[in-house]
Amino acid sequence: MNTIALCAKAALAVMLIVAGGAKLADRAGFAAVVRLFIPVRALAPAYSYIALAIALAEVILGCASLSFPDVTWVNLIVFIAGCAFIVVSVTGLALHSGKSCNCFGTLSRRKFDVPSVFRSTIISAFAVLAMVGVSPSSVRLGVLTQALLLTAGAMLVAVSFTAAKALAVIPEGQPRVGAR
Amino acid sequence: MIISASVFIVVAFLLCVAAVLAVFGITHVAMSDPAAIEHDGLHRGLAAPTWSLPDSSGRIVRSPPPSKPFQLIVFTDHSLKSFPSVIDGLKVLARETADLEIIVLLRGDNNAAVGVLGLLGLGDFPVVTGKPSLYGRYNVRVSPFVIFIDSAARVRASSLVNYDWQIMKLWRLANIPLQPDPASGARRFPRRRQTARTA
Repeated sequence: MNTIALCAKAALAVMLIVAGGAKLADRAGFAAVVRLFIPVRALAPAYSYIALAIALAEVILGCASLSFPDVTWVNLIVFIAGCAFIVVSVTGLALHSGKSCNCFGTLSRRKFDVPSVFRSTIISAFAVLAMVGVSPSSVRLGVLTQALLLTAGAMLVAVSFTAAKALAVIPEGQPRVGAR
Repeated sequence: MIISASVFIVVAFLLCVAAVLAVFGITHVAMSDPAAIEHDGLHRGLAAPTWSLPDSSGRIVRSPPPSKPFQLIVFTDHSLKSFPSVIDGLKVLARETADLEIIVLLRGDNNAAVGVLGLLGLGDFPVVTGKPSLYGRYNVRVSPFVIFIDSAARVRASSLVNYDWQIMKLWRLANIPLQPDPASGARRFPRRRQTARTA
């Protein structure tokens, strides 16, 4: 049980880092998705900054979860983020079905659909598992290990950012890996 | 306690490696798509790489051209023989235009290419042996690819080509003066679906 919870926690952290890094590379695309959910004309100039803040939050949360697994409140925030994903995917399915969610920037062309709700639910389930199944004292890491994991996280951000930036040249209408 | 921490570290590193490999894989597959290849080359108005290299006869070839207003760089090799229409287009262009220097840039050492190009009637064109990194600076992966540049080292037109009419159309585009602001420059003309050949 403990091993499964640890795997879930690490998987969530890596997923958040990749998603955040890819979103950072395509801020305009993600800002368009933000606009779908906050259709307030007065906030139009802020969409890009909101998109940037969300992407940075994902990266920071992922890196924190990866490097400081014994910090319990990080697990709680990851769980809250997972719940937010469910709300967003359900709302997206209801109001913007078929539109790209830009969850992984240009790395994927996943859309708001039933499987996206299912995926969000799995993410939340993983977050619950990480929250209740991992004892903080059992995953206390040394400073060197934390630094190494943080470095791995930074490398992951760089890789996903670069890849998403490279894929941004391909037009939206073209088929892409992960598109349906 | 130590076992749990070790498990987490091992799993975390394995997942990081797996994620990096997955992202590379996705990028590789997507960039191999014809839609991505259509965006190869350099956009009109961008600065082209500058270099000077010896051609197959030992004469130094420079880019941008020092003596003519335009230069046509043909990115190809001996596989050009599979594109007779392109060969005809290059011959016509060389015959009908005096203010254009046409050079062939190879990706690397390729003795066969020089001989084949001679047999195809393109022996008058300087053949320069480049490097994969130079192809990379031009953002060219697939051949035959052509890039027109002017004497100021600005890209005038660039495209993958399969037919002579494409070369002629690119030449007409190259003759249109650049806008003052490169960002507002014209996009490359839309290409038809091409049966590109990987170099």
